[in-house]
Amino acid sequence: MKRILTAILVIALSLPVLAQAPAVPELKGKSVELTIWTHEDPARTALEKRLIAEFSAANPGVKVNYVTYPSSKIKDIVVAGFSANQGPDIFNLEIFDEYQFIVNGRVAPVDLKAAGYKSARDLQGKYLPGMLDPVTEGGKVYGLPLELTNWCIYLNKKIFRDAGLDPDKDWPKTWEDVVAVSEKIVKRDGQIITRRGFDFRYGYYLTSVLPMVEQLGGELISKDGKKAILGDAAWIKVLTYFRDFGPNGKNLGSPTYTDARRIFDNDKNEIAMSLSGLYQEARMRGANPAFFNSSDWMVIPFPQWKDAVKKVPNNYYGHYYMVNAQKPKLSQQASWALVSYMLSHGAEYLEKVAIVQPTKALMESATFKNMPYSDVFAKDMAAGHIVYYGASSSKIEALLKEAFTSVMLSGVEPAKALEKLRKDVTAALADE
Amino acid sequence: MRARVGVSRVAEAAGGAAALAFLAAACLLVLVPLAFMAGASFMPALDIMKMPYRWIPETWKPANYLRALAGNDGNWMYLRNILNSLVVSSSIAVSTVFLSSLVGYGLAKFRFKGNQVVFLLIMATMMIPFETVMIPLYMIIVKLGLQDSYAGLIVPFLMNAFGVFLMRQYLITFPGEILDAARIDGCSEPRIFREIVFRNAGPAAATLAVLSFRQQWDNLLWPLLVAQREEMKTIPAYIVKFAAEKHADEGAMMAVAVIASLPVFALFFGLSKYFLGGSAVYSAGKE
Amino acid sequence: MKPAVTSGVLERNRSRWGWAFTAPGLVFFSIFSFYPILNAIWTSFFNKRLLSLRPPKFVGFQNYARVLGSEDFWNSVRATAAFTAGVFVPLFTLSLLLAVFIASRKRFRRLFQMALYSPAVLSSVVAALIWLLLLDPRGLANQFVNLVARTPGVDRRWLSDGTMVQVSTMMVYVWKYVGYFTILFITGIGKIPESVYEAAVIDGAGPVQRFFRITMPLLRPTTVLVSVMILIQCLKTFSTQYLFTQAGAPVGPVNVITLNIYNTAMRDLNLGRASVMSTLLFLFMLGLTWVQLRFSRRDEVEL
Repeated sequence: MKRILTAILVIALSLPVLAQAPAVPELKGKSVELTIWTHEDPARTALEKRLIAEFSAANPGVKVNYVTYPSSKIKDIVVAGFSANQGPDIFNLEIFDEYQFIVNGRVAPVDLKAAGYKSARDLQGKYLPGMLDPVTEGGKVYGLPLELTNWCIYLNKKIFRDAGLDPDKDWPKTWEDVVAVSEKIVKRDGQIITRRGFDFRYGYYLTSVLPMVEQLGGELISKDGKKAILGDAAWIKVLTYFRDFGPNGKNLGSPTYTDARRIFDNDKNEIAMSLSGLYQEARMRGANPAFFNSSDWMVIPFPQWKDAVKKVPNNYYGHYYMVNAQKPKLSQQASWALVSYMLSHGAEYLEKVAIVQPTKALMESATFKNMPYSDVFAKDMAAGHIVYYGASSSKIEALLKEAFTSVMLSGVEPAKALEKLRKDVTAALADE
Repeated sequence: MRARVGVSRVAEAAGGAAALAFLAAACLLVLVPLAFMAGASFMPALDIMKMPYRWIPETWKPANYLRALAGNDGNWMYLRNILNSLVVSSSIAVSTVFLSSLVGYGLAKFRFKGNQVVFLLIMATMMIPFETVMIPLYMIIVKLGLQDSYAGLIVPFLMNAFGVFLMRQYLITFPGEILDAARIDGCSEPRIFREIVFRNAGPAAATLAVLSFRQQWDNLLWPLLVAQREEMKTIPAYIVKFAAEKHADEGAMMAVAVIASLPVFALFFGLSKYFLGGSAVYSAGKE
Repeated sequence: MKPAVTSGVLERNRSRWGWAFTAPGLVFFSIFSFYPILNAIWTSFFNKRLLSLRPPKFVGFQNYARVLGSEDFWNSVRATAAFTAGVFVPLFTLSLLLAVFIASRKRFRRLFQMALYSPAVLSSVVAALIWLLLLDPRGLANQFVNLVARTPGVDRRWLSDGTMVQVSTMMVYVWKYVGYFTILFITGIGKIPESVYEAAVIDGAGPVQRFFRITMPLLRPTTVLVSVMILIQCLKTFSTQYLFTQAGAPVGPVNVITLNIYNTAMRDLNLGRASVMSTLLFLFMLGLTWVQLRFSRRDEVEL
């Protein structure tokens, strides 16, 4: 009863918008049932459920089951579902988990007509350049971006001032600066750090640490995809940096302290700088509105090395909506029409969920420009590239983590860790 | 003579006190995380992640409980999820106790060709990590058409090797003479099982019921795979909902967990009197 | 001669009932355990990738050669063995001691049982979060140890040091399961007839003698049960290691075999190689149970 009432309420509220949901000619008089699997995100769920109701109202034959899973478990669920040939019609995962679905032929290319694009050029033209590359294979596009995220550094100005620094002048531009200001900010009780300057996003080496290597001219995998770990000097320098940063060096931080992004919003004099995406602003606004509305924080770009050979900001990563290739043609058409309809509300996704869809329209919109420091994120994103994705990217992520933690925490020599890393990554590539 | 007895009494009392101290210390240590949960369920999320940790909330936020019950989208789905967990876990507890006693009794008290092999095979199934058989299991459930149903959640766990093992070990020392006497009296085998064996399996059955109930109560991965509609989900999935990175609300999550632990507590308390068969073994005859 | 015939018939009859009682178990396990296991053994000989739609290729023992020849696998064997050894002794002793102590109390028995069992009442998701906060360098674990050892400001590096992270996994594991095994012991003790103890007390046996002369021998089926269960639980330990490594702990020291299987299957999507490890683990367990049965058979089976 309650559900029906809610449904009526939702439909009633969305009446003025109803006219906007397109009636898809292919779906006329047909009935289709679609299933969407997506990760837990309450604000997005509310928005998408509303958009789906609008779509179903315009296309009465379409019934949609919207299922959410915890983000830590959704990959296992989707993989298990597809392995049993029981995958959903529509799903999304992180790009480096989705790539496997493309190469194994499990997902269908975008149905341009159903999705309402005139041509492939028209589709590409709606997005910022390069944003569809990760899901383009053999000239076909296999997904539409639900969100693209890059990380910059959130900075607590009060802590800077407290450490005798002027945040507007002394904010770190280089990795050398990061250590220098951290040494001034860090407070300890014996060996235990009670106030940290900066915290890496441990566990996201491809996203956040590989750019540091690339700034120095190092590479993960050669252009022809055959060789792994190029530019030893760059790798050694970054590995050594981590060792010096960690508990066996200057003791400025370690992976096992509480993640900075979980406590930055507290503003309790615990962490001065935290790497996070634009979405952090929404969390901050919800959790600590006083701090959010104050002028005590700011966002600065991803640091570069003093002797960097090229500018590489933090890599961005994304979620793309994809459509199951095993479903009948009609379901695929309906799926793409629905996905396209949902994603045409980029401004609302940004406003209500704080996620960014890399369309030209959104980047030019007032909603985006009005978000504090959105220009910092946009600038970094424009200069950056997407995170490495390939058939073994999850495995490589794990190998990077092993190499860096062994140097940082277990006292392994950087050169030795690098040799092991090279051997393991090469083996992983050979397995493909 | 009298003096010796006196000394041993004193030693026994001292030993008893030491044992009590040890027991109390162990319990206190074990209880730390529980106390943490209770305290945290009344705190705003930011205070929970704060270090050093405070045990008594600085700011009380009982609204966590309202949020826990009403949910992020205010549809009160938690109540339905609790009901699902109750249905699934109790069905599994009941069937595990019954089927495991049956099989355990067969293995413990009947010598037949293949007895040892059967036991060995059943035992060996305990070794398989669930994650590796998840996909074949899911395919079976799909073939049986049981997705998104209580049956799909319950059937793969109707009994387990541990239960069989526990009941076998418990019944193996059950006096054979009693069974033989019943047979001579003309009791049928099913009746012997029902009225003699099962009746006397109380402590083991109570233990098994508690353990298998709680195991399902906390099962996350399988229900996620099988139950897709919100109406079919169980408690653990609901708990995880509050931990999503972008909207983490640890306070509400703790409140959800406190509520979720109450039925297990109740069941445990209700059945724990059977664990020792109602007797204080060691104190017997002490005085 | 006649009694022998009767006993033969009786024997056959009994055997039939034995099968009848075990039949539901056989049917159930065939579908939900043996089939998946056979499936894993079969898969271990194929080049099977999750998600791939192409039919998997038969590769003979190639997967076995790859797994047995990799450092990674042997590191997992080491990690699992170290974990099992490090958990078995404290967990067994602690739960036996606690069970005996609880059984000897007249009051508050249920309260003690309840307290020890409380970790099981906690949702594992929440327990995970709490442990990470406790083991945080600024968390309670450091504070407590430094208070007791009078070493202010020392970071024990519970999760970051290769050795300490192994100790931490063992600690969390003992915490989680001590109540569970205490209850199993209590159930076993509860079965020992009180008259035996009364007789012992009249004979002047002290509590220590009672423990070794009566409790231990009569508790034998339960000790077998508990030791096998601890062994199995340790060999298939997964969640604590999974959780800690997700939270930034180094993988190598705690990359137990089940974690390796999980990552090989779900992360690398290499089902063939994951199945090799599952099969090896299964065979190892089969051998272990068999040995266990051989040893316990003589004084256990009294039909």
